[in-house]
Amino acid sequence: MTSGANPLPTLWELKEMESKPKTRMARLFDRIICALPILAAALELLQYKLRPNFRNFTTTDAYTVFVSFFAVLILGLFVASFFSKRAFEKLRAQSPLYTVVFLLFAAYDHATLKTGLLPLPYFPWPDRILNAIIDDRVLLLDCIGNSLQLLFLGYIFGAAAGLLTGVSAGWSRSIRYWVMPLIRILGPIPSTTWLPIILIVAASLFGGSVFLIALGVWYPVTMTSMNGVQNIRKANFEVARTLGASNARLVFRVAVPSAMPYIFQGLTQGMSVACTALMVAEMMGVESGLGWYINWQRGWAEFAKMYAAIIVICLTFTVVNMALTLIRKRVLRWQEGGAGV
Amino acid sequence: MSAGHIQINNIKKIFARADLNSTLLVLDEVSLDIRPGEFVSLVGTSGCGKSTLLRIIAGLETATDGVALCDGEPINGTNPKRGLVFQEHSLFPWLTVRENIAFGLRATKQYSFKKELVDALISMVGLEEFADSFPHQLSGGMQQRVALVRALAISPDVLLLDEPLGALDSFTRMVIQEELVRLWQERHNTMILITHDVDEAIYLSQRIFIMTPRPGRIIRELTLNMSYPRNRSDSAFVDIRNIILKQLHFATDTHEDYNL
Ligand SMILES: Nc1ncnc2c1ncn2[C@@H]1O[C@H](COP(=O)(O)OP(=O)(O)OP(=O)(O)O)[C@@H](O)[C@H]1O
Ligand SMILES: [Mg+2]
Repeated sequence: MTSGANPLPTLWELKEMESKPKTRMARLFDRIICALPILAAALELLQYKLRPNFRNFTTTDAYTVFVSFFAVLILGLFVASFFSKRAFEKLRAQSPLYTVVFLLFAAYDHATLKTGLLPLPYFPWPDRILNAIIDDRVLLLDCIGNSLQLLFLGYIFGAAAGLLTGVSAGWSRSIRYWVMPLIRILGPIPSTTWLPIILIVAASLFGGSVFLIALGVWYPVTMTSMNGVQNIRKANFEVARTLGASNARLVFRVAVPSAMPYIFQGLTQGMSVACTALMVAEMMGVESGLGWYINWQRGWAEFAKMYAAIIVICLTFTVVNMALTLIRKRVLRWQEGGAGV
Repeated sequence: MSAGHIQINNIKKIFARADLNSTLLVLDEVSLDIRPGEFVSLVGTSGCGKSTLLRIIAGLETATDGVALCDGEPINGTNPKRGLVFQEHSLFPWLTVRENIAFGLRATKQYSFKKELVDALISMVGLEEFADSFPHQLSGGMQQRVALVRALAISPDVLLLDEPLGALDSFTRMVIQEELVRLWQERHNTMILITHDVDEAIYLSQRIFIMTPRPGRIIRELTLNMSYPRNRSDSAFVDIRNIILKQLHFATDTHEDYNL
């Protein structure tokens, strides 16, 4: 409903209008910062290709391709940043981090491959770790699949059970009466404490591990959802009741959605507990998955493969947590100022 | 329509003040008889117990003593036949404007055949552009308008309005007052309105009850026979306004020697 002569600005134009104008010097400085990661990557590539290696250390082109790949991506973004404000903002914010990452790679390469300051076999250089991932990719993928399966099974059971006990305990005083002692006793014990018992008692190790992870997730989800339901403004229930809501509707359409910010705190906490429990379970008993892989390679003193597995674990968990954050942002989009409690 | 008969007999409400270890008498021997389809207003100074009385009629609060009846039945808990528009921001923050308005329709299983009603109500209060916004993106007055039509959506026999237009500018307020009269004449439901705006009470209601400061009692009842729509500059209108203001003034001031 604006006049044709003076249309409303887009979101990006608005941001620009509301931000302070920058001086010529500041703009130049921004461009330099944006170029830094590319320089750092080039530096590392030069070192890798041109500097002689320590002793008879051999290398492949896998690492060259790896570094070049990211360098080219950033270069693309750099070019785009001259045309798109959005690309520029993104690159300007991320550049310092990318630069430091490349420099860290360079420093590590220097300390291992180029000078041997950090000795083999404990400190393989990046190219070796990269090759370990590539060589063992089939097994690693298989391990990722197994780990994720175990993780999600345990997480889903734990979260569902936690929601059930938490919401019902938050809702009903008499259920709280019975759930509270359980929480008090089980809560402070890390779920992995039960592992030795589970190893003996559980019919299948897989089932036992699912239980272990579920138990670890159950506790934080129960606590936060109970808390969330108890903290709901009374007025929300009163309004819903005057509009004819049944008790079931009060629980599922009022209590649960308005406790969601709390519940997501528990779900996030639960995810980190689940990841820990997963690793412990896989290292101690379950004969598959990334945790098992690390332990197994340790037996062979395959350090490059151990590092490879650690990197894969790190990437896997990062992706899982990013997915959780996305879901949370989507579910909590009604909150003022985004999805923070 | 014959539903929506509210009878209040000698109601008393005492609140516990746990922190102060004392009790507070808020309503003292209040009696009302509101006919089905009648539009009445309650006016009184802040803190005199108006909201409390309305909450008792809604079934959200129980009276300490006395009986409250709706269509001859004792009021026991809430009922979608008695809708309440709350004094303060009461929208569900996790639902959009449209979903807030649809809440009651869904709860009473009418949504499937009354979907268009939601849109009609949204445009009645001029919020078409904000139908899919969340409450925190609305101004206080916009939120009040949504809360009002959310209660209207399920067509309650008795609509309890606790200062529903308090946050609106005087122009928007007049527009919505006209809408309220139109809706009421169309539906013939019982309306019980609390307002601090004396003109609003006179513009809308057939009877006005004036309450004393706490403990709340009804000290005066005015019956208005003017036809709708009413004219705010009418001499009868102005006379009634003076009577009410005078009554409210004496109700707050113990000195009765003031000359208007
Ligand atoms: N739940 C409660 N517990 C204790 N005291 C209460 C409670 N609710 C209301 N009161 C007290 O009852 C009195 C009347 O409150 P009420 O909300 O009914 O006033 P009101 O007439 O609606 O005032 P206003 O015009 O400011 O909205 C106040 O003194 C208030 O402190
Ligand atoms: Mg009030």
